[in-house]
Amino acid sequence: MFGHIFVYRLKVLLRDKSMIFWTMIFPIALATFFNLAFGGFSSQGTFGTIPVAVVLESDNIAFADTLEKMSTGESPMFKPDFVTPSQADALLSDGKVAGTITVADTMALKVNQSGISQSILKIFLDRYAHTTRTVSRIAAIHPESLQNMDLTPVTFTKDAPITTGNLDMTLNYFYALIAMACFYGSFFGLEEVSLIQANLSRRGARLNMAPVHKLKAFIYSSLASYTILIGEMMVLMAYLIFVLGVNFGSQIGLILVTVFIGSLAGLTFGSFIAALVKGDANMKTGLLIGITMIGSFLSGMMFAEMKYLVQTKFPLLTIINPVNLLADAFYALYFFSTYNRYLLNISGLLIFTVIFALSTYWVIRRRKYASL
Amino acid sequence: MQVFKLCLKIFKKNLPVMSIYFGVFIMVSIIMMSNNRPTEQAGFIQAKTRMVVFSEESSPLIDGMKEVLSDIAVFEAIEDDENQLQDALYFRRISYILRIPENFTEDFLAGKNPTLSVTSVPEATSKIYIDMRLDQYLNTANIYVNQIPGIDAQTLNTYTLEDLDYETPVQMLEADQTFGEEGMMPYYFNYLAYTFMFVVIMGISTIMLVFNDLNIKRRNACAPMSSTSVTLQFYLATMLFSLLSWALLAGLSLLFSRNELSDSNTLAFILNSFVFALSSSSIAFLIGNLVKGREAISAIANVFTLGSCFISGVFVPQAILTDSVLKMASFLPTYWYVRGNTLIAISADFSKALMIQLAFAVAFFILAIVVGKKKRMAIEA
Repeated sequence: MFGHIFVYRLKVLLRDKSMIFWTMIFPIALATFFNLAFGGFSSQGTFGTIPVAVVLESDNIAFADTLEKMSTGESPMFKPDFVTPSQADALLSDGKVAGTITVADTMALKVNQSGISQSILKIFLDRYAHTTRTVSRIAAIHPESLQNMDLTPVTFTKDAPITTGNLDMTLNYFYALIAMACFYGSFFGLEEVSLIQANLSRRGARLNMAPVHKLKAFIYSSLASYTILIGEMMVLMAYLIFVLGVNFGSQIGLILVTVFIGSLAGLTFGSFIAALVKGDANMKTGLLIGITMIGSFLSGMMFAEMKYLVQTKFPLLTIINPVNLLADAFYALYFFSTYNRYLLNISGLLIFTVIFALSTYWVIRRRKYASL
Repeated sequence: MQVFKLCLKIFKKNLPVMSIYFGVFIMVSIIMMSNNRPTEQAGFIQAKTRMVVFSEESSPLIDGMKEVLSDIAVFEAIEDDENQLQDALYFRRISYILRIPENFTEDFLAGKNPTLSVTSVPEATSKIYIDMRLDQYLNTANIYVNQIPGIDAQTLNTYTLEDLDYETPVQMLEADQTFGEEGMMPYYFNYLAYTFMFVVIMGISTIMLVFNDLNIKRRNACAPMSSTSVTLQFYLATMLFSLLSWALLAGLSLLFSRNELSDSNTLAFILNSFVFALSSSSIAFLIGNLVKGREAISAIANVFTLGSCFISGVFVPQAILTDSVLKMASFLPTYWYVRGNTLIAISADFSKALMIQLAFAVAFFILAIVVGKKKRMAIEA
């Protein structure tokens, strides 16, 4: 019995091109677009050498020395270009350099916009002036100590990284996308319920006549759906990891567990809506897409910052949004060495799944129809 | 005008689906409006970045440090909790977490070179920015500690702050230029590309699907009506639909950016979006001629519009996209539409972008006609 229903259901589902498109091809296409669009996004805000024009009005060996030190080495801070004042203005207005330093007795800076590169240039020049002031003050009050004065900078800071992960904001888009794909699995759940309920489809009516235990038939055929959904999710994950190179951390086992639980949550969510909501299939599909999209939106699939906004301003919304729980589980796995947050998300997701499954069971069991 | 009337009837039937997409456009525009208000500024303004300081002691040295940092940073109040700090760093709410350990001041004054612990987004420009300022403060103080043995904390504070008080004069290349963003109008018009393309592909291909059904096509062919008239009425109806959608979306874009209506660029934005409407309509004709089933339409419409909008800079600015992606995108009219909007925003010459879109419109339209003709000649659908 199991074999019969399972195998035929698999065959039917695999031929449903539209279903396969929305639950597998569409997320893959979306992931590809994310990858294309965010290719240059992750390097945003990362420091790059600042090009700067330098105009020498007078020779200043000490300054030239400092600038030289900042412009060499493995990751130089500046890329100086020694030019005449008119060349400097041309470079500046073309946006080829971030600013122009005029070297005289006091340094001056010329820029054509306010930005962090320009601010760094200013701070650099400030530093030079500050040190000059310090030295002359010491020369005034303690001239004798000038001889053994040591200006070698001392490092007073020590990096204490918060995570071993790369704080790349684009990851969140992919995490939310997987969560969306899992919840698109709800189309399968919707279909399964429609096909088992006599008032929703002809196949349901026929099945209710057959001497088969309805719950068993439902579970067998849902298992076929679940198998396909898991297969699709594996394809999606393989695509993300091996083709696009999205980083999920090293805990492959737990990531797979998360996908399994997420797909189950998605599937039961679909059956839950199908069983509980009155209305035709179009309306139910619309509802599923709508809820999944709003959930994905709030987990940052369109704007990553949205997730943070929700977390800090409306924390309740993160708990009652299963899409976010799923996306956050991936996030927690990647960024934290402890499992508290991950387990919290997973238990939330499991509670949702149990509620969805039990409510579905409660609605579809023992339905009797006077006429069909 | 039977054909024309029929087309309008089909549009009417699809109105609910279309209105969802118009609704999405309005929603996203409102979100953008509250999200990215550009700030106008004149002259040079020192950049400020957001950071958190956790100090286990307080002393004049640390007060001075905070004062110096406050020139370039805004201190945020975030609870000292790993979860919250990680999220704040990840979503760039803050870029720097500074922890001052107990006895820092004492060790510092004793010349023991104690260290502060820094957590930041690695390699970030904002990290280097704060590092430089912090470094300068502590090194200046350190010089005094080394050179003036037994200096008291108060004097050290005064000396250091006085030295760091100097600011380099900064001149702007064009003194009276204001440096705001170009306003929000280009964003609304860019986003119009997504909604318009989707609605037009859905709308036009839905009608074409009805007309291309083999049985209906054969029945129509028997009608005592010249095929020229049928075709003309058909294009008239679809153009009307495109025009209405365009007018509605352009009107909404203008409504959202009503504060900028007086800008001289407004007309150019409208013109650019109109030309884009032409080119997307011809793409829609082509897709309508190629697609076979109702289910396939929404699949293609979704993938094509999302894809072209992502790589052409509608959702993510073109400046951020990599060169290879942009090269790929330059084969799409959407790319040239966004490019046109960018050029209009800075009052540059956008005629090239406009001409390329027109060329796309003509090319796709001819292609659509050729494909359509071939299909009509075919015996089976």
